Amino acid sequence: MNFAFTEDQVLLRNSVRSVLDEQCKPAHVRALMDDPRGYSDALWSEMGKLGWLGLPFPEPQGGAGLGLVELCLVQEEMGRAAYSGPYFSTVALAGLGLMLAGDHGQKEKWLSAFAAGTARGTAALLEDGLDWDPASTGTTAVKSGGGWTLSGLKRFVPWAQVADVILVPARAPEGLSLFLVDPRSPGVRLTPMVGIDLANRWSEMRLDQARVPADTLLGEPGTAAPVLESLLRRAAVCASAEMLGAARRCLDMSVDYAKVREQFGQPIGSFQAIRHRCADMLLAVENCHSAVYYAAWALGAGAEDAAVAASICKAYVSEAARQVCGDAIQVHGGIGFTWEYDLHLYFKRAKALEPLFGDAEYHRELIARHVSA
Amino acid sequence: MDLNYTPEDIAFRKQVRTWLEQNLPREPIRTLDERRGWHRQLYEAGYLGMGWPKEYGGGGARPMEQAIVADEMARTNAPAPTNSLGLGIVGPTIVVHGTDAQKRRYLKKILTAEELWCQLYSEPNAGSDLASLKTSAVDQGDHFLVNGQKIWTSAGSVADLGLLLARTDTTVAKHKGITCFLINMRQPGVDVRPLKQITGSSEFSEVFMTNARVEKADQIGKLGEGWAIAQTTLGYERGGRSLARVTTYASHYHKLVNAARRLKRHGRPLIEDATVRQKLGRIWAELEVERYNALRVLTQLERGEHPGAGGSLTKLSYSEFEKRFMELAEEILGPYGQLTEGAPAEYQLQIDTAVGEEGTWAYAYLWSRAGTIYAGSSEIQKNVIGERILGLPKETRADRVGAAR
Repeated sequence: MNFAFTEDQVLLRNSVRSVLDEQCKPAHVRALMDDPRGYSDALWSEMGKLGWLGLPFPEPQGGAGLGLVELCLVQEEMGRAAYSGPYFSTVALAGLGLMLAGDHGQKEKWLSAFAAGTARGTAALLEDGLDWDPASTGTTAVKSGGGWTLSGLKRFVPWAQVADVILVPARAPEGLSLFLVDPRSPGVRLTPMVGIDLANRWSEMRLDQARVPADTLLGEPGTAAPVLESLLRRAAVCASAEMLGAARRCLDMSVDYAKVREQFGQPIGSFQAIRHRCADMLLAVENCHSAVYYAAWALGAGAEDAAVAASICKAYVSEAARQVCGDAIQVHGGIGFTWEYDLHLYFKRAKALEPLFGDAEYHRELIARHVSA
Repeated sequence: MDLNYTPEDIAFRKQVRTWLEQNLPREPIRTLDERRGWHRQLYEAGYLGMGWPKEYGGGGARPMEQAIVADEMARTNAPAPTNSLGLGIVGPTIVVHGTDAQKRRYLKKILTAEELWCQLYSEPNAGSDLASLKTSAVDQGDHFLVNGQKIWTSAGSVADLGLLLARTDTTVAKHKGITCFLINMRQPGVDVRPLKQITGSSEFSEVFMTNARVEKADQIGKLGEGWAIAQTTLGYERGGRSLARVTTYASHYHKLVNAARRLKRHGRPLIEDATVRQKLGRIWAELEVERYNALRVLTQLERGEHPGAGGSLTKLSYSEFEKRFMELAEEILGPYGQLTEGAPAEYQLQIDTAVGEEGTWAYAYLWSRAGTIYAGSSEIQKNVIGERILGLPKETRADRVGAAR
């Protein structure tokens, strides 16, 4: 039993942190806010060279063959940097989805391209009703002319505007199925949805009789439900890791500020009202760390409690990260409410991820089902 | 990172489980003699003082093995040994700071429960501000003469000996004039009066010392080092018990879920009520996070690292959690949760309070208020976290300048 990072894991974290500290400064993030693509090619190709883009993929497909713990380490650093780009959507959504359900040819084609940095992907996991239960999928898939025709409306598809492929769940006559859709196919229309986190992009995806070839189906028709459940758990934990990173950044900034900001003739960190708030923030951040890395380990190792650990993680971190980032604004006072100060980048990142892949209430219900089963 | 237990740990757990199945007392323990008997059985099986040095009667075991024993005892709701202060605070203090003679004289008898211990720290006017304690120890050449009053002395009414903090120098700053001693409680100058708590029971005492005698040989560490010694000992017992604590919480939690299946509101079982489910889901998430934290602490201990100020995070986290947990238990159980007698079997909680009384949900609820006060209140823990982990500046305090008196 060892709940500590290995030397390699520490090295990975340090390397990701130093690269992002250098190449993903807040000024870089801010500069991309007005960019329609929203990410930097230079940093993307650097990430490819460093092996981040294929981190969890098998080595034959150009990946590093690492696990979910390592992926979460990277995601945490991305949250800490408020990274702007399709890393999560490509690696954790499309990538892990393909790893779970793709055949050899599909993996060969897409995972290799993701790892090399030549393609980007995402997944369209949410519809109008905002229900994360895959069973709620209303998009339809009908067989036609050797391929399939998809119709439906997806919401909040992350980084769809720069994706080369989108994983799309749809209901076929055989049951829930998963397709690889080229967003440039006829019948597919993307419309931007602009949220408060301008370093994070979403689109609405309308599928109007969109025709996709037969080889875009992942696995057999009607077998997607367990795949989607698995993918959602992994996505929830990776998103939690990113929220943890945002929260830790907010804590660090608050502590630094409380040491230097003076009121009533002393640093505000000497007042118990501030110090105790910072202590509470640290406790929340450390608890988030425990929740994220336990769940990441459990999912990767196939532990008995992996599914509920993922729900515990997302239920806990969703609220704790929001609380910590909000407390950070409170510790900073007025300056924390200005656009110029960087705190809101992380506050908004945590908020943007909070409802995704199930919010705290959604996951608490899953936990209740587990304990009362 | 690998959270699987090793084959050796799994085998050891099995061995402990089998031993407990064969040796657990069949009847609840009521008297101190019965508890001493159980204590000796545990010691002879190698399950007490596991981490203490072998030459003084300990087992030289790894922290993980200690955690497994505590965890299995929690899982089977086994009665606690007696002498918890001796095992948890006094023994480790002597191991780290004591002389060889002190180790030989005292350690083994803690393990065999031949001598029971208490801890004489808090005073009526020195609670959170423990360093302002007034009890004095005056050098009389071959011994010290002790005068003063202590309060919140766990196990004071049964203790043969006590670990004492007393002021030996009033001319220096208050943290620097305190010395740590071992004191014989069975002497005319020591008067112990049980203190009745809100639970109705008396786990604590007040202790009055009037010209009580402490031998020179029973001074721990150097003169004036008492505060530093107390700082290290307050955190000793937290790590090894952390997993067992969560296992006990989990066993109570499952009882609560069962109660929620039976109790009804608007004609439906509470367990089907969305609000109740949300609350149960929240507490289980928090409880599991405590378990993950316990595994992190155990990892540190296994590597030979002392959690240091990190112990304040652990204590703050579980003690505040315990209050929220017990508040939910009371919400679900309604008035059943307040019963100290006469609750139907399915709404009872049988816990061992280690004072010979049967615990109830009501007792556990009341007791949850103690955790955020004893061994450093939550406010003190947050000060420690703020200053020592986060490096925030100390506040301007009226007592930072000048001598203790």
